[in-house]
Amino acid sequence: MKRLVLAAVLTLLTLPARAEGPAAIPRYLDETATSGVRAVYAGDWEFMVGGGVAAFDCSGDRKPDLFFAGGTGPSTLYRNESAPGGALLFTPVVSGAEIDRVIGAYPLDIDSDGNLDLVVLRSGEDVLLRGTGDCRFSRANEAWGFDGRDLWSSAFAATWEPGSDWPSLAIGTYIDRRQDAFPWGSCTENALYRPQGAGFAAPLALKPSFCALSMLFTDWNGSGRASLRVSNDREYYKGGTEQLWHVDPGQPPRPYSAAEGWKPLKIWGMGIASSDVNGDGYPDYFLTSMADNKLQVLAAGPETASFKDVAFALHVTAHRPYAGGDTQPSTAWHAEFQDVNDDTRPDLFVAKGNVGEMPDFALRDPNNLLLAEADGTFAEAGDRAGVASLKTARGAAVVDLNDDGRMDIVVVNRNDGAELWRNAGQSIDGQPLGHWLQLALHQPGTNRDAIGAWIEVKTGDRVQRREITSGGGHASGQLGWWHFGLGAADAAEVRVIWPDGTAGDWARLAGDRFWDLSRNAPPAAR
Amino acid sequence: MQRRGFLTSGVALAVLAGLGGVRAGAAGREQVAQDVLGTWIRLALELVRHTPTMTPPVASRALAYLGVGCFEALASGDATLVSLSGQVQGLGALPGRTPGQGHDTAVILNTVLDGLIHAFFLNTGPSGQRALQTLTARLARQAASGLADDVVAASRGYGAALARAVLDWSANDGGAVIDNLGFPRHWTVSDQPGHWLPTSKIALQQAPLLPDWGRNRTFALASVEGLSMPDPTPYSEDPASRFYAEAKEVHDTVVHLTEEQGFIARFWSDDPMLSYTPPGHWTAILMQVASEKSWSLTEQVEALALMGMVQADAFIGCWAMKYRYDLVRPVTYIQKLIDPAWTPILITPPFPEYPSGHSVQSAAGAAMLTHLFGGDYAFTDESPAPDGVPQRSFASFNAAADEAAISRLYGGIHFRPAIEQGQALGRRIASHAMALKTRA
Repeated sequence: MKRLVLAAVLTLLTLPARAEGPAAIPRYLDETATSGVRAVYAGDWEFMVGGGVAAFDCSGDRKPDLFFAGGTGPSTLYRNESAPGGALLFTPVVSGAEIDRVIGAYPLDIDSDGNLDLVVLRSGEDVLLRGTGDCRFSRANEAWGFDGRDLWSSAFAATWEPGSDWPSLAIGTYIDRRQDAFPWGSCTENALYRPQGAGFAAPLALKPSFCALSMLFTDWNGSGRASLRVSNDREYYKGGTEQLWHVDPGQPPRPYSAAEGWKPLKIWGMGIASSDVNGDGYPDYFLTSMADNKLQVLAAGPETASFKDVAFALHVTAHRPYAGGDTQPSTAWHAEFQDVNDDTRPDLFVAKGNVGEMPDFALRDPNNLLLAEADGTFAEAGDRAGVASLKTARGAAVVDLNDDGRMDIVVVNRNDGAELWRNAGQSIDGQPLGHWLQLALHQPGTNRDAIGAWIEVKTGDRVQRREITSGGGHASGQLGWWHFGLGAADAAEVRVIWPDGTAGDWARLAGDRFWDLSRNAPPAAR
Repeated sequence: MQRRGFLTSGVALAVLAGLGGVRAGAAGREQVAQDVLGTWIRLALELVRHTPTMTPPVASRALAYLGVGCFEALASGDATLVSLSGQVQGLGALPGRTPGQGHDTAVILNTVLDGLIHAFFLNTGPSGQRALQTLTARLARQAASGLADDVVAASRGYGAALARAVLDWSANDGGAVIDNLGFPRHWTVSDQPGHWLPTSKIALQQAPLLPDWGRNRTFALASVEGLSMPDPTPYSEDPASRFYAEAKEVHDTVVHLTEEQGFIARFWSDDPMLSYTPPGHWTAILMQVASEKSWSLTEQVEALALMGMVQADAFIGCWAMKYRYDLVRPVTYIQKLIDPAWTPILITPPFPEYPSGHSVQSAAGAAMLTHLFGGDYAFTDESPAPDGVPQRSFASFNAAADEAAISRLYGGIHFRPAIEQGQALGRRIASHAMALKTRA
């Protein structure tokens, strides 16, 4: 009898919170008021899009600090003072990154010096800020030969092209903001900045350009080479479509063609999130829009760049508010896959908010927290989890802010304060969530954070594959720890496919820990 | 040699460049008024594209009221014109110009268009709102430039009263409120074979667009009650049936589509939110041809009114028939019975098939343009060019309408009877507007 009881106890300890039935709904605690964050994304027409947040460690304590776009106000940087597992706590710091007219920002170690830099998108000249340590930044446009132009920048992605010591940066732009009466059809040029020496060559036009609101370098077909996905706002382009670009070393970028399987898709494209949702080993793409959202999976395997939309079938159209009383169609911006309940299935967070008092769309539009179910569908849980804010959201990050391995959430709101929620580490009915891993990749030399790598995490029969990217979302990016839920497993087999395609060895890593995975070195617990 | 189209011509751009200021005499005022008209219509077409509720039927309604408003702005001061008041459905007496006060047609027209466009495109997005603000200020200033203050005040007062009267007239026609982008919140699809089923995986479009639009008040058409058309081909899933053969024709046409047919399908695609929509497309043709023929302001507003009403009536009549018959779309039938992998090259619109809306309204529009410009006017349609669609040339308006109609077969979204019977329906509907009296 004792043995049976012991076995039952052990089983309970190793099972996920819910071995069967619906996905566990994590409990989120709204800690906005006590977090110390007072960031507002302010502005009228020129700031109707954007409103990004960059989550990255600039202080050296391995916890993500937060940089907020301010719109007409200055951008602000908050140092993360949260105690491990404790309440979210941030302190504003003077960093040299206080700039006005900021739309969004992405962290990236551009010069591979070990300090993360910031790519700052603006309505005006874009700025590269070089991180100098201790959350200090200095302008590097001139030193790095970066022509920030004077446009309305609204999308970003980065990759290290094979053989390059420096990254290639793609910057997407929006409307010609001088066109006050007839702005439609005035999309300005997107650009690809390729390396040249210790800096960048003159920008290469990504023509045609169709008012990009999100970009992502992604190896969509497992070829070992990243292509550039661009999600475009149909409101402003004429003759445009969603885009996928070949970006091959030494070659000018060129769009994928119909002959290669690429089909025109015209949406109010606002954000890109990627994850291997269907477990086929290739990234799938969630594209945010208005009144409808798309979840694209490969339609005919990796041989053709053809995608089909499975959002309706998987209950992830997220097209209408589910709480708050407003029943008009929704407007979606930042989207991000993260396993918020640590059951091994990446969930989907979507930031929602009206463009600007458009009466045909919800004015009170709750953010979505769509939990992945065991059958492959998703179920809405934002209200029950506690993150269904009705403010006018734009950018966001789903990231562990308090070093406890659970995914917290920060959301930027237009003309309102940012909001922060702490993941309590429990389901709403008090059950523990699954186990987890936090992994950081390190390479010697350049591309130190291994952008373009893949991490594989095996628990039982399930293998999670995650592409390490810089870009996507809506004007918001993060770089630091990569999170995996392990469900019932208290350890996992892990390996890294490094950006050059070299596969590292499988290693068994204990769960509920932070691990540094360095190339040519054994994993090291933090 | 064709002149440049209205959308890219200097007519609309002149005002924006500040060239529409004072010109001497009546000719100068006529040009100012034409600039005002051209610029507002150009904006209206952009707002059709950029206002989420502006599906084709809704766009046709807005353009009809704009046209009537413009016409009445001139008719109130021109004894050679006959008001539409009392001639079209529900339009009673309209305010007149105050005797003894000086009025300026350009200012009146600008005020009317300003008021109507603001009202009909109230729900447009931030950029549309910004454009409205910009043009309101710019065109009001330019229309009034060089005029005495009392004339400007009287003209604006009258224009505002006229716009208000048109809006009051429109308010109870059945089409003023569009909820949920036009899709019913609750809808039960028929479980009987042959009836419409959703054709997309967009959640909103699991219900069909504007099922009650056919109950709206018409303009020149007395009502839809008297409308009739042949029934569609009896539904059958028998491979030997006529219905199957018609579906096979759609299937085979798409499978073996020529490059030219593909161009035609895309040229007339006119998708909502991605184009001026079909009624906007035909309005653009009208404005382009009016520019080419150097039509007077009077001729332009007369044409806009008649064309607008024809298009609106065509959509009301067409929608009444669509929901009378509730016929299945080709993609549903073909994928079920002929070829599961087949897809049309155009996006199948989210509403029943019979008759083809584009066929009805294009035939109606062409009939009206033929009535106005003649039956042998050759033209090159440039309106989809900004979207990268090559321009197309036509020997006549009817030739253009024929191509627009058959484009729906090439696109794989209509069976042939919906096209042919739709055209016939459109021509019958147009005859009512052509019978209106606009000249003394």
